[in-house]
Amino acid sequence: MSFAWTSKLALAAGLAILPATAWAQSVNISYLTHWSPETVALLEAAAKDYAKTNPDVSVTVRAVPFGDLLTTLRSQGGGSDGPTIGGIYDLWLPELARDKLVAPAPDAVASEVKASWPAGITSAASVGGTLYGIPNEIDVYALNYNKALFKQAGIAAPPKTWDEFKDAAKKLTNKEAGQQGFGMINSWAAGVVHPFASLLVSNGGELVKDGKPALDSPQATQTFQLYEDLIKSGASVPAMATADANTTGPFLDNFVSGKTGMIIMANWWESALKTGMGKKFADIATVPIPVGPSGDKPHSISYSWMTVVNANAGAAEQKAAWDFLAWLNNPKSGKNGASAMSDILMSMGILPSRLSDIDAHKNKLGSEFLSGYVSVLTDAKPFPVVPGGQEFSESLQQTIEALQYGQVSAKDAQATAQADATSILERAAK
Amino acid sequence: MIQRYRASAGVMLAPAVTLIGIFILLPMLLTVWLSFQDWSTQTPFSSASFIGLDNFREIFGASSVGRDFKVALINTAIYTALSVILILPLSVAFGLMVYQHDVAGGTALRTVLFSTYMVPMIAVALVWSKLYSPSEGPLNQMLGLIGIGPQPFLSSPGSALVSIVFLNVWQQVGYFTVLAIAGLTQIPGSLYEAAKLDGANRFEQFRFITLPLMRRTLLFSAVIAIINAVQVFEPVALITQGGPVGSTNVLTYHIRRVGIERAQGGLGSAMAVMLMLSLIVVVCALFALANRKDQE
Repeated sequence: MSFAWTSKLALAAGLAILPATAWAQSVNISYLTHWSPETVALLEAAAKDYAKTNPDVSVTVRAVPFGDLLTTLRSQGGGSDGPTIGGIYDLWLPELARDKLVAPAPDAVASEVKASWPAGITSAASVGGTLYGIPNEIDVYALNYNKALFKQAGIAAPPKTWDEFKDAAKKLTNKEAGQQGFGMINSWAAGVVHPFASLLVSNGGELVKDGKPALDSPQATQTFQLYEDLIKSGASVPAMATADANTTGPFLDNFVSGKTGMIIMANWWESALKTGMGKKFADIATVPIPVGPSGDKPHSISYSWMTVVNANAGAAEQKAAWDFLAWLNNPKSGKNGASAMSDILMSMGILPSRLSDIDAHKNKLGSEFLSGYVSVLTDAKPFPVVPGGQEFSESLQQTIEALQYGQVSAKDAQATAQADATSILERAAK
Repeated sequence: MIQRYRASAGVMLAPAVTLIGIFILLPMLLTVWLSFQDWSTQTPFSSASFIGLDNFREIFGASSVGRDFKVALINTAIYTALSVILILPLSVAFGLMVYQHDVAGGTALRTVLFSTYMVPMIAVALVWSKLYSPSEGPLNQMLGLIGIGPQPFLSSPGSALVSIVFLNVWQQVGYFTVLAIAGLTQIPGSLYEAAKLDGANRFEQFRFITLPLMRRTLLFSAVIAIINAVQVFEPVALITQGGPVGSTNVLTYHIRRVGIERAQGGLGSAMAVMLMLSLIVVVCALFALANRKDQE
């Protein structure tokens, strides 16, 4: 065979193989999150590190406001072109799994998660015993208070009981200065419901018991009454409590500007507080939720987030996505034995949930702000993850907000909340 | 001859009619069909099961679904009514100001008025949410200068919806002013000259010449303003999330929450059908009223 013929054959063979090779090697996956641009930049940097050893996989990150995250997942996750990976709130998982929008984790990933995460966190990422996501963050609620305002009001120590809490809220209130003792939140479902639920569990109650709403309990009566008392006494001002689509807004502005003495909030807002307060962040401390008259010891609500993979993505994309997530959450991908994911989470003040990550970050987790959250983790109760959970949350939000604005009494609010929750959970369970 | 004419007309109309059928009529009919089904938006249409009027019973019932829908329907009606009541007189007033030939700077004023309509809603929402801010908002600071205490604006169920209406009026009034000016240009100047000779003052000229001859323009403006107002979504999604206490929860935002976020496609479709019917009734009533006035 002449050289010319050999060259032509080689070229033809090369051209024939080239598309197949390129198709086999190049996989594009996308990661949908609600994180801020700064945190997205950290995730993109981690994806670049991953690409060094996996040049055939390209990861792009998309961010939407928290308020649009579920809608985006639902509207785009039904197709193969939707986001390959999504960061989701555990409350959304049962319905996303029911609608087959999220893929079960491969056996290797499931075994790794079961061995490396606490059982409670693993169960929140599972439906019917099947693991659907890799847990990454855990959030827990505690009482944040402004030490400078406490000192001004002559309060020696943070409140440990509801009586002390009400007393402190009253002393911290200064109407002339536009200052409220305790800051509630409205216009944001989790922001309204989680602090309420934290007070409820710290009073020995529960939102849902054995799959059925338990808002008709005496403990719930006392919690609704506490809200009414705080509003009626003027110690909490609903007009100072509004949140916007980015979970910021007046409720945050009032706390960072020293107009709110106490607030019940989760650990993840450390970065927002630091940004808003600068040096005055040192005035903020964290303590457990005050114990109610029917409670035994401080409890609070916890919830987790996880990363899931689009069940409608192609097989190659799903495989690449799980591989990337396994790397991202592996203790070798970050610094000093921490995973790259936990390094990203800690930049926002968010507690990682992998056992090795908690150990690797133990120094930072011991800070005055975060240690208060770490201390309440053991006794925290997971927010109930049930079908219809999001609708239940939004409905309870409306009732609590109506109570905040004096549109209903504590007694009526409790009755409405229980009736609505019963109807919503029964319908969702069908 | 007539048959050939009809055939060619049919051929020429076919592309437009087909497109309208596929992209407008079909989705509308699909929405109506879905409103009688139990269907999750995450599943194929084939999984929908017929449940008769159950979705409509639910949205008008006493449960939280019905309560939230009725609140959203009332909020949408209030928002629409207030928007139209404010926009139409303002657009006529601005139109008269700008249209005066003897007033200097009319073109500049027209440009300024129309420019608000060109600003993207995301920018409008960001700016107005800060203007309304209860602590550092410029509006409250200005009110403070004249001795009025801080107003809650978006933070109170009593004022949040009205605050969103003002934002809408600010953005839309320029567009409707341009429509009003277009209406004013259609009125012959000789009518005003004749009225002046008869001794009519400015108010009488406005009352007996301008307003009656602008009726068609105002009807068109009212219909467009109603349709725009009913479709309000962005300011609610960007600023208030429907709160506080559902006071700004308008139907488009609520349908998105029910139909997409909760994947309750049947319920969401029933709500969309009710919105469509309400809009048809209002617009038809408006046209009927205008026709009766014409006949009088």
